[in-house]
Amino acid sequence: MKYVVETKNLTKSFGKEQAVQSLDMKIAKGEIYGFLGPNGAGKTTTIRMLLGLMKPTSGSIQVFQQDLKKSRISILSKVGSLVENPSYYPHLTARENLEAWRKILGAPKSRITDVLAIVRLSDVANKKVKGFSLGMKQRLGIAAALLNNPELLILDEPTNGLDPSGIIEIRELIKQLPQSHGMTVLISSHLLSEIDQLATTVGVLTKGKLIFQDSIEAMRKLAKQNISLRVSDQDEAHRLLLAKGIQTDYQKDRLILSEFTDEEIANAIQFLVQKQIAIYRVEEEKRSLEDIFLQMTREDQVG
Amino acid sequence: MLAILRSEIFKFRKANIWALIFVGPVIAIFAGLVDSGELPVNSWVYTVLMMNLVYAVLFLPLITGVFASIVCRYEHQAGGWKQLLALPVTKGRVFLAKYLLLVSLVFLMQLLYLGAIYLVGNMQGFAEPFPLEIIWKSVLGGWIATFPLIALQLWLAIWFKSFAAPFAVNVIFTIPTILALNSEKLAPFYPWAQPYLMMNIGGKVDAMFFVPWDQLLIVVGGSFILFFLGGYFLFNRKAF
Ligand SMILES: Nc1ncnc2c1ncn2[C@@H]1O[C@H](COP(=O)(O)OP(=O)(O)OP(=O)(O)O)[C@@H](O)[C@H]1O
Ligand SMILES: [Mg+2]
Repeated sequence: MKYVVETKNLTKSFGKEQAVQSLDMKIAKGEIYGFLGPNGAGKTTTIRMLLGLMKPTSGSIQVFQQDLKKSRISILSKVGSLVENPSYYPHLTARENLEAWRKILGAPKSRITDVLAIVRLSDVANKKVKGFSLGMKQRLGIAAALLNNPELLILDEPTNGLDPSGIIEIRELIKQLPQSHGMTVLISSHLLSEIDQLATTVGVLTKGKLIFQDSIEAMRKLAKQNISLRVSDQDEAHRLLLAKGIQTDYQKDRLILSEFTDEEIANAIQFLVQKQIAIYRVEEEKRSLEDIFLQMTREDQVG
Repeated sequence: MLAILRSEIFKFRKANIWALIFVGPVIAIFAGLVDSGELPVNSWVYTVLMMNLVYAVLFLPLITGVFASIVCRYEHQAGGWKQLLALPVTKGRVFLAKYLLLVSLVFLMQLLYLGAIYLVGNMQGFAEPFPLEIIWKSVLGGWIATFPLIALQLWLAIWFKSFAAPFAVNVIFTIPTILALNSEKLAPFYPWAQPYLMMNIGGKVDAMFFVPWDQLLIVVGGSFILFFLGGYFLFNRKAF
């Protein structure tokens, strides 16, 4: 498999603290990679290293199968990025800000008008950015990241400061980039719900460690629903089901049946009724992806 | 490299403070006009010496620091550095582009100063022709003498986020110039005194730039190498 981004053993220490630990990140072409982690997990630190803004303590970074250390310039000419808080020159207008960067990227001038339209800043193009709201600055940052029509787009919490309709707008924009422009996207967030409908691959980072990296489907599988049962005699029910070869999870006030088909559930309940056990409640417990994400990051904190 | 320089010029131009390069020459014009009592032998030389005292001793070293702070200020304000350095550039080229911009600004200012001298002379109706060759050398020498100062000030301006800190350091090094110039032993070795010395048309008359070559090479050249490389390497090591 040829990856657009591949890190090996990537580590960054600040003094004693390891902000990023032995990261093996793999992003295939055309993916939208959701880079998830709670505050302070090391997302921004990783992204800074991917852009060469910060030198890794150890490990290697390959982008477009080239070593970042050796081919930084040729790599970065095909990368667009937005790191942490939006960056801008307060004394310039939105258009002038883009012009300052365009001069270096060598993109055509018309591209400025295009990207301003994409992020819906055309109306305020000639206003000084220091008077912009946070959301407008964020949009300018996204426009800047798109300026060179990059093959790899790196967005660090791009929906920060956007209103709900802005979030949806940006989500729709990012979603179509792989098909329409062949882009690969790395997008970080501390909220799974934000990239749930967007990401094709997910990497979960906690305390500098990548604890999950797989397709979003693989993550969804973890979210399969459970059925919880409340019955008149829980001990007896548990024993009877076990004798019949049905594993249940015994909890304080209920039994949990996980990964059963509709038919299996029906059979189990019918069996209990036959054994004179009264069924009080049959409830579906749907774990959201958010729960799984929370649980993952929490488990790691305990361990 | 040229693209980065063009971007730097663009950002600076839009900062609308480039009128600052007029301040020094205009002050020098006043100095040249005020001090016109009984004129000694060569009125051009006398006038330039007067104007230099105001322009070259304190103003020139200080204003270069202000320029250096300005070209870094808009990078410090709102994450400009990280946005700039995530573009396909090397830190070395960014440093060089900013340095070249500063050097060019000071050159423009020196040209204006030359114009200011010409203006004062004409307003006072000097009989002698404009000694272009001498004054041209003075203006050029003063420019060269600011190279190391610009390098150090760029270094400081990159290092400190605040506008005030590099300026304070700048003042601390510039003020002793007045003392250094009073000491024949010390003055040739003090980098901040070099702009004045190299513009001093009353100095070593047979020397190309009014100072001995070895002083130019060792003091100006040496401090330039030290300050430029220092700033260059520290910028390269700094994380953004
Ligand atoms: N320049 C630095 N010096 C020292 N420590 C740092 C530096 N940058 C980051 N850290 C530390 O590294 C850890 C990871 O920070 P990072 O900014 O990468 O987290 P993050 O995942 O982006 O968090 P957030 O969701 O809040 O943006 C934190 O503990 C932070 O304190
Ligand atoms: Mg962050």
